[in-house]
Amino acid sequence: MTEGGRAAPPGGESQATGPAARAARRDLSPWRRSLAGLLFVAPMLVLFVIFRFVPVIGAFLLSLTDYRLSGQWTFIAFDNYSRLLEDKLFHESLLVTLTYTVIFVPLTVLLSLGTALLLQQVVWSRGFFRGVFFLPYVTSIVLAAVIWKWIYNAEDGLLNGLLGLVSLGPFDFLGEAGTVLSSIAVTSAWKGFGYSMLILLAGLQAVPRSYLEAAMIDGAGIWQRFRYVTLPQLRPVLFFVLVIETIGAFQVFDAMYVMTAGGPVRASYSLVYLLYDSGFKFFDFGYASAIGLVLFLIVLIVSLIQRRLVGRDD
Amino acid sequence: MRPARLTLPTLLVLTAVVTILPFAAMVLVAFAPPSGQTFPDALNPSRWTWQNFSNVLSSSDIPRWTVNSLIYSLVSVLFILLFAAMAGYAFAKKRFPGRELMFWAFLATLMVPFQATLIPSYILVSKLGWVDGYWGLVVPTLANSQAVFLMRQFISQLPDELFEAAEIDGASEWRTFSTIVLPLVRPALATLGIFVFLWHWNDFLWPLVIGQSAQMQTLTVGLASLQSEAVPINQVMAGATITVIPSLLVFGLLQRYLTDSIAMTGLKA
Repeated sequence: MTEGGRAAPPGGESQATGPAARAARRDLSPWRRSLAGLLFVAPMLVLFVIFRFVPVIGAFLLSLTDYRLSGQWTFIAFDNYSRLLEDKLFHESLLVTLTYTVIFVPLTVLLSLGTALLLQQVVWSRGFFRGVFFLPYVTSIVLAAVIWKWIYNAEDGLLNGLLGLVSLGPFDFLGEAGTVLSSIAVTSAWKGFGYSMLILLAGLQAVPRSYLEAAMIDGAGIWQRFRYVTLPQLRPVLFFVLVIETIGAFQVFDAMYVMTAGGPVRASYSLVYLLYDSGFKFFDFGYASAIGLVLFLIVLIVSLIQRRLVGRDD
Repeated sequence: MRPARLTLPTLLVLTAVVTILPFAAMVLVAFAPPSGQTFPDALNPSRWTWQNFSNVLSSSDIPRWTVNSLIYSLVSVLFILLFAAMAGYAFAKKRFPGRELMFWAFLATLMVPFQATLIPSYILVSKLGWVDGYWGLVVPTLANSQAVFLMRQFISQLPDELFEAAEIDGASEWRTFSTIVLPLVRPALATLGIFVFLWHWNDFLWPLVIGQSAQMQTLTVGLASLQSEAVPINQVMAGATITVIPSLLVFGLLQRYLTDSIAMTGLKA
């Protein structure tokens, strides 16, 4: 995401003179050179126009209609959006998504920062432990959800079994409105923290050793070195991780679909879940598209805040 | 400094054990005897059995789902690598009208979450008559902007003199691409290939929407349906263990590669 924007413009001036002059010698018209470029882009471009640009524009247009499964529709302007404002389900799902994000983001950032710091401090078998922490990341969220659904199970789940050893529980982690979102957040954090951990670890390794050594000579303890040397240096990387995880959290769906089906009583019914149900349960495509646009706006705002706070260079 | 010497390694090992625990539990339950108590039977190696695996393989469509997942992942890898390398080459080394505009348009689509265009994409695919088929599953996911950016980035680092030399030697455009560009960006192709494989192998929402019959489900969708039905937990875990094998293979063989490239490029699976 950041890399694409950061890439230097290719070729530059040297390309304009050198090859162009030689091409003229070889009688290659500029037209033919352009054609080659266009032909190389063509397959991806065609795919993009049909399967990305058309749906993006289609999403907006659909949200202005009452398009249904039959394919019949009428133009209803912004009715879907005013319906959203009054829809209790939409408000609930927005609140669920926000609550989930507020739980998930600090959890996953602390977990990935904590493990990255541990790896940084402990030199011994670093590669092995890094691999262990990264392992859940290569699996699917569906797999994570299936395993953790059983772990949380009130009757024969692993967690209640362990808690039973110290005479606690049993708790119905996924069956109580008070614990369901935290339980799902733990599952998602377990599955995904390896990614942010790697990014943060790379950031930590980029902190100049001399700074840390200087601080150490000045008598700074481990916490002071972290607080006053590492953390300020890590800020841009930390911010990138924060934004990536926040955007991911707003799109939560898979884990809820598998673990709770949105329950109990919609306590884990997220925005994307509402979008999915509106589209593929009630076939209310226009309305579902409007929800999709709200999601897009949220993601856009989060990204813009990142741009504003971190600036162009990061 | 003194307490850190002991507590930090302990904490590290503890965190690692907790991270591995769910996988270990999955495998143990998958091997536990189907009739008995999940625990402590799962912890008794003498009672381990393959029964859950054979049961789940015979009662569900796992072989078919595996084939679907493989088609979805491998065909996508092949075409995304090829088309992204071609587009990346053009954006990096060619001049043609509309290049900047196209590139920014590609960039802009990164901002739009996939779920936001789920409905129009589905309607489009259904208009094409591709719902519940491989075309609908694979083709729309080939439009991958991250892949184009990565390839453009790598190819723009190749020296221009290389292409001038090829041109002087009279190499055709395609020959330049296939014999100079592709071999030189092999590391980038490998990195991208791993990511595209994992993206597709682990994907859920799109296969869920497109694969409507049991025959067209992928492993992730099948696994989700397995655990929502009244399938015993031992069998669900046996199924889960089967689905995780390819990811583990990729991980085991290419872990270094994968972790290094995330740190370098920020690619997210």
